Amino acid sequence: MRLVLAAVLFACLPVAACTRREPAPELQLFAWSEYVPDEVVDGFTTETGIRVNRETFASNEEMLAKLLSGATHYDVVQPSDYTAEALAREGMLRPIDWSKVPGLRNLAPEFLHLPHDPDQKYTLPWMGGTVGIVVNAERVSPETVRSYADVFRGEHRGRIAVVDDPREIVSWALATEGLPINRIDASSLARVEPLLRAWLPQVRVFDSDSPKTALLDGDVDLGIVWSGEGALLLDEDPKFRWVQPAAGAHRFVDTLAIPVDAPNPEAAHRFLAYVLRPEVSARISAAYPYTNPNLAARRLLSAKQLANPASYPPQEAKLEFFRDIGAAAVLVDRAIARLKAGL
Amino acid sequence: MLPAAGVGPGVTRRPGVAARLLILPLVAWAGAFVVLPTAILVVYAFGRRGTLGGVEPGFGLDAWSRVLDPTVRVVLARSLAWAALATVACLVLAWPVAWTIARAHPRRRTLLLALVVVPFWTSFLIRTYAWVTILKGEGLLNGALLAAGIVAAPIEMLYTPGAVLVGLVHTFLPFAILPLYAAIEALDPALFEAAADLGAGPVRTLREVVLPLTRPGIEAAALLIFVPALGLYAVNDILGGGRVDMIGNLIADQFKGAARDWPFGAALSVTLLLAFALAWRLAGRGRSLAAGLDR
Repeated sequence: MRLVLAAVLFACLPVAACTRREPAPELQLFAWSEYVPDEVVDGFTTETGIRVNRETFASNEEMLAKLLSGATHYDVVQPSDYTAEALAREGMLRPIDWSKVPGLRNLAPEFLHLPHDPDQKYTLPWMGGTVGIVVNAERVSPETVRSYADVFRGEHRGRIAVVDDPREIVSWALATEGLPINRIDASSLARVEPLLRAWLPQVRVFDSDSPKTALLDGDVDLGIVWSGEGALLLDEDPKFRWVQPAAGAHRFVDTLAIPVDAPNPEAAHRFLAYVLRPEVSARISAAYPYTNPNLAARRLLSAKQLANPASYPPQEAKLEFFRDIGAAAVLVDRAIARLKAGL
Repeated sequence: MLPAAGVGPGVTRRPGVAARLLILPLVAWAGAFVVLPTAILVVYAFGRRGTLGGVEPGFGLDAWSRVLDPTVRVVLARSLAWAALATVACLVLAWPVAWTIARAHPRRRTLLLALVVVPFWTSFLIRTYAWVTILKGEGLLNGALLAAGIVAAPIEMLYTPGAVLVGLVHTFLPFAILPLYAAIEALDPALFEAAADLGAGPVRTLREVVLPLTRPGIEAAALLIFVPALGLYAVNDILGGGRVDMIGNLIADQFKGAARDWPFGAALSVTLLLAFALAWRLAGRGRSLAAGLDR
């Protein structure tokens, strides 16, 4: 009996030694607070055994601040397009080894080789989206609202919700004036100032976190919001309609990228490959109905999901990306702050 | 009271070695978490804006020239006014509550104080969001008013300055009640008898006896409310619809907005700190503190 016990204990030694020597592999994920479903992360861990430590941020600048501080080294980060552009330019991103990420061919061509990453070297498109107008059809007739100018015509004063993003708001004024939305300088800002001065006092709620709340509560009748929020509203209640602004809108792509100092780039590549799988990507779409770049995943979506005009806008819609504008961002912030202060 | 050799009033005391050692952890903590970060802020305020945020090495006064913007002046004035309004509202509302608790039976006093403090156990953010549920168009308050037939249509209460004031007062009321309670509770009941004996009515007693004697408590309460209320912008964002900027919004935008102008944010923060120091000095706190140290 004692011999059997000893044999069993002896057999356990190698296992014990292994677990003592090698800690479980980990992936440091740094993502938006509401963008990566728990089931995707859990599924990844279950399949690969790699534990995922997830940290979240609520804005690109928050992510940049943490990355710059160097306090934590992340394996995968989730920058928006213009932020990824800036990061790549500063040499902070590691080129992706596409041989380890075969699912790239699933992606729609309009999401690849975009201005922020023309060689598709540093980023993997995660989800795309736009900004558009949501109308509560019970209070406002959708036919009367075709573009930004219609929203701010005056009859909806005090019943409007918009995202609290100065650059976004300025882009609507630029589009209405027929100017390129990336031409940010003193003269273009001066040209749109009268518009903004007329528009801003008409807004009841500035909310970037959850603009759909005010719309659902009925405290506002229409809003200019992210397409994902719009899609959720349309799913929630058929009284909401989505209007793609005729003057043009901001199109964005959020991406996954690997920082240059990633401690576990192997795990990072495996995560990228994992999220490109059609069934995994479909789960992301189910939770966050933005525009899914993964064509193989789109085939798994329901007709209702694909018919949502906020998630999948018509091809002919006039859409433009934000580019990194460097120090001109200060001009935008200054202009909106001045207008909000009533000056 | 610092432990030291030599006792009795009028005798000049100097803190002994034991006293200094006991204070050392507090000094170290204050140094590491208050003095050092403030020093870093000051250094940042004289730096240059980095491309990705952060501060680039090099001396620059750009941030300070932005502080002189008329926008900053308007926003700062507005924030000061709001903080002052919230402070006054809190003090006025807290006074009857503090009075009642202080004059209550000792056993009930504990219960009443617990009722004041228990809301602290809930996150401040959740309490603020709760006001959204109460004040919104389809919210609890409007529902009650409509059901009772008091109004025919919902009142627009949310996303107004009034809602912001309600949120601020709700957040800071316990900070007013507790110091006021402590000050009132310390009053000798004999004083009231003496005032009555000398022919003073309740109003005159309040004005000429109670208020002057509880002034340190009132000042403490006012500082406890005014200082944090000045920087607080979450209530303004959630209950006010983010329509107007407070100084807290301006500062936060530099760090979490697309502007990425850390030196400007740091300069604004240092300006705010200097404003506090000035207000503190003017309020006479510095004077009484200096007098206390000399005693």
